[in-house]
Amino acid sequence: MLKRRVRGRIYRWLLPMAFPCILICGCYRQTHDRIAVIPRTTGRIVWESLHTGVEAAGYTDGIRIYWNAPTRQDDVGGQIALIDRLVARGGLQGIVIAPDQSLALITPVRRAVAHGIPVVILGSPLLTPPSGKLVYVLNDEEEAGRIAARRVAAILHGKGTVAILGINPDIAGILRRARSFEALLVQSYPDIHVIDKRVGSFNVPHEQQVAEETLKAAPHLDSILTLSASTTEGVLSTIGSNPEYSGIKVVGFDPDPVEFNSPNLDSLVLENMPGMGACAINIIRDLQAGKTVPSRIEMEPMLVTRENVRSAQVRQWSSTDFRPGPHRNWGRS
Amino acid sequence: MDRRRTLIALIAGALAIAAALGIRAYLISPTRGLPERDAFAQKHADDWQAFGGTWEVSGDSLRNSSDDRGAKLLTGSPHWNNYSIEADLMLLGGGGDAGLILRSSDEEEGVDAYYGYYAGLRSYDNNLVLGRAEYGWTEALTPLDPAAGHIVALRWYHLKLVAYDCQIAAAVTLPSNPAAVTVSTVSDPDCIRAGRAGLRSYASGGLWRNVVIRQANRQDLAAMVAERDATNRSAVDPRPASAAGATQQFSPPAPRSDTFTFHASSHTQSISSLRLTSSAAPAIATIRGSVVLTAPLIVQDSTGGVSVPQPASSPLLKLGDQVEVSGSVRQNDFSSTLEHAKVRVLWEGTPVPPVMVSASQAATGAFDAMFVEVEGRLRSKAYGPGNTLVFTFDAGPQSFGAIMTRGRADYLFNKLKLNSLLRMRGVIIVDPAFTRNATPFVLLLRSADDVDVLAGPPWWSARHLIAAAFALLLLTLAGNLLYGRVERWRLRAVLEERERMAHEIHDTLAQSFAGIGFQLEAIRSGIPGEMRATHQQLDLASDLVHHSHIEARRSITTLRPDGLESEDLLAGLSACVQRMAEGGAVQVRTASHGETRSVPPRISCTLYRIGQEAIANAIQHAHPSTITLSLEYTKDIVRLGIRDDGYGFTPGGEMHGFGVPGMRKRADRIAAQFEMTSTPGQGTSICVTAAIPPPVTWSSWPKILISYLKESRRHVTPFKVSH
Repeated sequence: MLKRRVRGRIYRWLLPMAFPCILICGCYRQTHDRIAVIPRTTGRIVWESLHTGVEAAGYTDGIRIYWNAPTRQDDVGGQIALIDRLVARGGLQGIVIAPDQSLALITPVRRAVAHGIPVVILGSPLLTPPSGKLVYVLNDEEEAGRIAARRVAAILHGKGTVAILGINPDIAGILRRARSFEALLVQSYPDIHVIDKRVGSFNVPHEQQVAEETLKAAPHLDSILTLSASTTEGVLSTIGSNPEYSGIKVVGFDPDPVEFNSPNLDSLVLENMPGMGACAINIIRDLQAGKTVPSRIEMEPMLVTRENVRSAQVRQWSSTDFRPGPHRNWGRS
Repeated sequence: MDRRRTLIALIAGALAIAAALGIRAYLISPTRGLPERDAFAQKHADDWQAFGGTWEVSGDSLRNSSDDRGAKLLTGSPHWNNYSIEADLMLLGGGGDAGLILRSSDEEEGVDAYYGYYAGLRSYDNNLVLGRAEYGWTEALTPLDPAAGHIVALRWYHLKLVAYDCQIAAAVTLPSNPAAVTVSTVSDPDCIRAGRAGLRSYASGGLWRNVVIRQANRQDLAAMVAERDATNRSAVDPRPASAAGATQQFSPPAPRSDTFTFHASSHTQSISSLRLTSSAAPAIATIRGSVVLTAPLIVQDSTGGVSVPQPASSPLLKLGDQVEVSGSVRQNDFSSTLEHAKVRVLWEGTPVPPVMVSASQAATGAFDAMFVEVEGRLRSKAYGPGNTLVFTFDAGPQSFGAIMTRGRADYLFNKLKLNSLLRMRGVIIVDPAFTRNATPFVLLLRSADDVDVLAGPPWWSARHLIAAAFALLLLTLAGNLLYGRVERWRLRAVLEERERMAHEIHDTLAQSFAGIGFQLEAIRSGIPGEMRATHQQLDLASDLVHHSHIEARRSITTLRPDGLESEDLLAGLSACVQRMAEGGAVQVRTASHGETRSVPPRISCTLYRIGQEAIANAIQHAHPSTITLSLEYTKDIVRLGIRDDGYGFTPGGEMHGFGVPGMRKRADRIAAQFEMTSTPGQGTSICVTAAIPPPVTWSSWPKILISYLKESRRHVTPFKVSH
């Protein structure tokens, strides 16, 4: 009884004071679960097609998508900082990431998985095997290389020279597509010779410089395989400013945008970004539901030429209309 | 009393709720802080928060000297809803756009990493862009009025952006030709309702001045729509216009139609190869790279960096610009310099990310003229020459300096605490002109946003330790005071309960004893005198009842706290003697010595109870003729004495029933000294000495605290009997 009296006095003062505090605290917004999707950069419009795929898949299941990335494609530190920030903030159902680098992202990704967050690696793999909550949804780079090799063979009618530019050792997928391209040429088109191979980066002026050096060393080159959008831009810029190279045909990867503004651009190998994005979201949803998912999925790319660039499939794969639901307008791009 | 307290508590609670609601209403007010004007001319931009870019005050403007994509600078309240923002705006490059943001929330670094609306001028397609960012991007484009010409860099425009309900409108005019106005309006059904205002640029630097943010109403929007109807010719959006006429809706962005074509020299070399150039004869070299610092101009490629002091010809450069530099090579100790150089912009790119190095690595000179990220602990800060701020850092075995220009950095300068661990991004310079040979290198920081505070000063600094000790003492004192208050509450509850029990005994037991006594007397008067045995039994019963009645009354007297309320302890005890003696022949003498002092209720109550017990013992067992009560006050103590001239008793004899252990226990509770002296035939004397805590003042509280801590270790002096 004694204690109750004392307690009563304390409560009589504390409760009225506590109420406004509860009122104020209750007004703060709560964080909802969402899936973070981190492309290599949000500064290039090519990644908007991935945004389209993840938003569409998320919309179906009512999943919110967090979409952000560094402003440069080679800002590995930015991607790592973003992952760490998101993991620390919590409230994530999963992470989908297109890595800027095959090695440097292993630790932050493993750290996220250790926090129980499913992670889907998109496009190009990390140099670590998939396991449990770490799943790969990749572009079929072997097939991409073969598609490019067949196209170069078709342009050159089975005979000629080709240079491979933009070999970026940071991106495992780019290395694989280069090897696959060369392997098929050696195997099936022995009269087509790879006469030069150059390391590349995401820096367009640097790629232009490399292209200049390459063309200066081999002015009679028949074709060039460009393994990234930056290399394609640099090469086309060099050729555009030097009319003596106007006969060279270029087959490129990862177009940004999917357009044929240069007469030297023959074709583009296009990844199924929306498909990979949707697949990644579905995998995270299934992992959260406790379902078994394949640890590695590879999706076939397609060859875009002037003939099929207006096709429905190309428009869908390169759509930038990320808005889910009735807003969607596939025809904009 | 309880009702009054409850009422006070309820009123206090209601006031607290009203205050909380009032504060909340003020904080979330959609007009708080409006209208707002920039203070760039006064070099103040402290209340603007940057997300990317390098924002600095430049003259009467704020400048972003970076080609960063989606660099933002925000200010204001997240609860602003219907308002407009307008400013004079200048693009620094031709490859992107720059403009204004409103209703922005949840901002992060990243291209479209915020929720909000944006209006900007885009030079490469000559459009007024009205966009919606939601960690994704949709936009509506309106070509600029032909009378305004093509959007070009280094020309001032006036841009206004208004949001009212779900209608967003933007208008751009040329200060030199106000008639050439271009207006774009968008109806956004699922609109973003509120947020902060800000500045933004995308792949282009910019200058902003005369930024004004004010509340908007329907008329403001209507005026812009009317202006649009009067001036706009067409919209680029090919879809049918909405029912509102030329009002557009947001759509996904179309890819850029232009390709990056630029013509570069074919005789370029890597920056690192400049160091192989012969120093015997003057050599001209051409390099390509990205601008990492504009003043002084530093250009970096993947092999290293080169400084370009005072170029002979140079366009307006921004961080991230891809440039081609031709100049005369001069060899330095760790890098090269291109003098009398000509600089040409090839492409407006995104600034390169920094290379993270340790101070020890940077101190080797291998990263001279390169953009790096270094960590260090701040050792000193000072204002330097030429409107600069100079910092010195320690990092392991190395020390280095950092220099940045004032402006937005002033706020940072004042905020940074010595010994904080910082991470900085800047360009390493080993030139003694900067280092003054005091440190191996200095870091030239581009803006205040190049500094991140990783950790404040270590908490175990002398200042913090003193503060912590002070806080601990205050906390202990507060705890002590709270304990005292709770103890008082408890004591009051005990006394209330005792009083209730006294009333109960008085109303039931004592009354019953009195009744039984009357009944026994009535029986005795009705019994013949010869029945002696019965009379003897009745006498015995009457004695027992009388004795029990006295005991009950004594208990009532003991339980009643009448004396406690009295401030005069002696008066209370004296009254107690009178009550217990029931008008008998006991004489009471009282004596007080020293200046009467305020005694805490806990102590006075205990002294009163001991006094009561001693008086009761004397009256019941010693049959004294005189009881002397004395009270003595000194600076630190109060001493109560009770002396009688009764029978006394033999020390060491049977003490049960005298209540001595109870008195000792009571004295023990207040850490008082209890002494009892008795001699057969000469009476008994009891003396209780208790310490009086000094009043709590700012100067006395440490002493109180120490004595409080000591108190728990003190013991009552053992019972002492003198012969």
